Amino acid sequence: MAYIMIVDDDDDLAKAFAKVLTDAHHEVEIEAETSRVLERINRRPPDLVILDVMFPGNSSAGFELARDMRHDHRQLGEIPILMLTAVNSKFPTGFSERDIDADWLPVTDFVEKPVDLGVLMSKVSALLQRGASAIERSERAQ
Amino acid sequence: MAPVSSMPRASYELPLLPGDALPASTVPHTRASLPEPLLLQNVVWFCRVRWIVVALLALFGLMGLFPQLERVLGLRVHLHWPIVTAVVLALANLGFLTHARLLAKSGSPPGARANLWTQIIVDLAALTVVVHYVGSLETYIAFAYLFHIVLACIFFSRLESFGVAAMACVFYLACVALEVAGLLPGAGLYADNALRGQIERTPGVVLLSAASALVVWLVVWYFASHLSTMVRERDSQLDETNRRLVGAQREKSRHMLLTAHELKAPFAAIHANVHLLLHGHCGDLPTQATEALNRIAGRCRRLTAQIQEMLQLANIEASEETSSRWTDLDLTEALRWSLSEVQPLAEEREIVVEHDLRSARTCGVEDHVKMLLLNLLSNAVIYSNRDGRVNVRCLPGAGNGPIVTIEDHGIGIPAEKLPRIFEEYYRTVEAVRHNKESTGLGLAIVRRVAETHGIQIRVESAAGVGTRFILRFSSAEGSA
Repeated sequence: MAYIMIVDDDDDLAKAFAKVLTDAHHEVEIEAETSRVLERINRRPPDLVILDVMFPGNSSAGFELARDMRHDHRQLGEIPILMLTAVNSKFPTGFSERDIDADWLPVTDFVEKPVDLGVLMSKVSALLQRGASAIERSERAQ
Repeated sequence: MAPVSSMPRASYELPLLPGDALPASTVPHTRASLPEPLLLQNVVWFCRVRWIVVALLALFGLMGLFPQLERVLGLRVHLHWPIVTAVVLALANLGFLTHARLLAKSGSPPGARANLWTQIIVDLAALTVVVHYVGSLETYIAFAYLFHIVLACIFFSRLESFGVAAMACVFYLACVALEVAGLLPGAGLYADNALRGQIERTPGVVLLSAASALVVWLVVWYFASHLSTMVRERDSQLDETNRRLVGAQREKSRHMLLTAHELKAPFAAIHANVHLLLHGHCGDLPTQATEALNRIAGRCRRLTAQIQEMLQLANIEASEETSSRWTDLDLTEALRWSLSEVQPLAEEREIVVEHDLRSARTCGVEDHVKMLLLNLLSNAVIYSNRDGRVNVRCLPGAGNGPIVTIEDHGIGIPAEKLPRIFEEYYRTVEAVRHNKESTGLGLAIVRRVAETHGIQIRVESAAGVGTRFILRFSSAEGSA
């Protein structure tokens, strides 16, 4: 069972994801505003963050939050981030894996809207496994 | 606590025109004269023309080496004044050219105006020397000043061109006055001085000759400057209209992108919640409820696809503004990618896709070329009949760009509807019957990409037989 934070201002979408993740026995919290996320995840770091790109008033708030987390050299930088994107890889103007880097696309993985729930679950599982392995490696290194 | 009604309020006044709707002109353009960069181009052009004048003067001076011309033509040609004038003009021209090159390198066009004015003054002075030695009153050489007056009307404002006309009048009148007063030695091309002498002895003739020259110059100045101002104003209006159109087009593309993005979000939420229900996360559902949800999911899927294609169209239009994403492309690779993308759809419909791909290169925006190919391939598969066959060929194209052929043996397109298939949202009745999911934007996207890339498309089709798209791309060396 993992603790997952969903950061998305779309309550309907966030609740749908939360239901699926809860049914898979994960603990889920939803946060609608990016300004509160860092404080919350500093208090209790999640095992995974599912993060939307666009938020009201700032079309790149998701990117900025992800970048802030990546540039944190403490534990926040290790938290896997799954980004929800609005473009579709069927048409080649979407993101691809080669776009993932700490500055341009500072996330661990992305999933395209409209989100296929099966794809979402498989990506969540893969990222949670990766996250767990990273923590193990970090603890061994210490 | 103060009552709410007395609390200070912030205010905002809505501007009447959008602040950034019009792209600002990068050149400070006055209606009165040509912009500085254009003046700089003409500085160089004037210098080139002046070389011709220098050559003509030099040739004329060399005629002074043949005194027999005086007997044959009745003209007295001196060696010294044309050569001296030619040398002075040549040296000045070198100076003007050097200055112009420095201006061009430094990117400082404001110096072009000063350069042009200096050229005009030097030219007028040199021309006055020529007028004096050729014959200021007894020949028509004085009308050579008109060249400078007309050119000034074209390049400068009305006031500035009047300044040039006035300067020409001053130079000419000064020359005539000094000659008549005897302060300038007698000159003139005619070997026989009798005509000159007669004119100088008749003040009325002197006045009439000088005055008519001035009147003609001023009338020409008036008409030329008036017409030139009208043309410049019209040019300015056209430029302004063009900028507004470009701005409006950009605004339209931006609006379409934003609207499409805004529409996608609610559909993502509907899609997620419908699938939540369909996958049993909210318990078992009655059959009818499941059927209704499937219909909702289907409509959501179509609407999402439509929004996606609207985004693609807006993206293509928005990126037309810049050619920075143009690259040399491996067309075969783009085709292979498109074929792999369409393979699941082909398998689902039991369509066999055959291909013969030879190595071929073109140039363009990779994402857009892939969009074009994927749309055509998808259509070929979708509008084929079950168990059908789609053929894809790519040939390098002898001497010209590569040729790609995409052919299906499906429902085809009636001849009378062929001209309309590239219109946005246009779908034939046959297409809708065969595929309800069609958005009508796929071929509009193909058309847009083809237009921006200079790809020629030929469509051959017959209802019930199939459709063949033949695309001729530009070669890798050329670009649209």
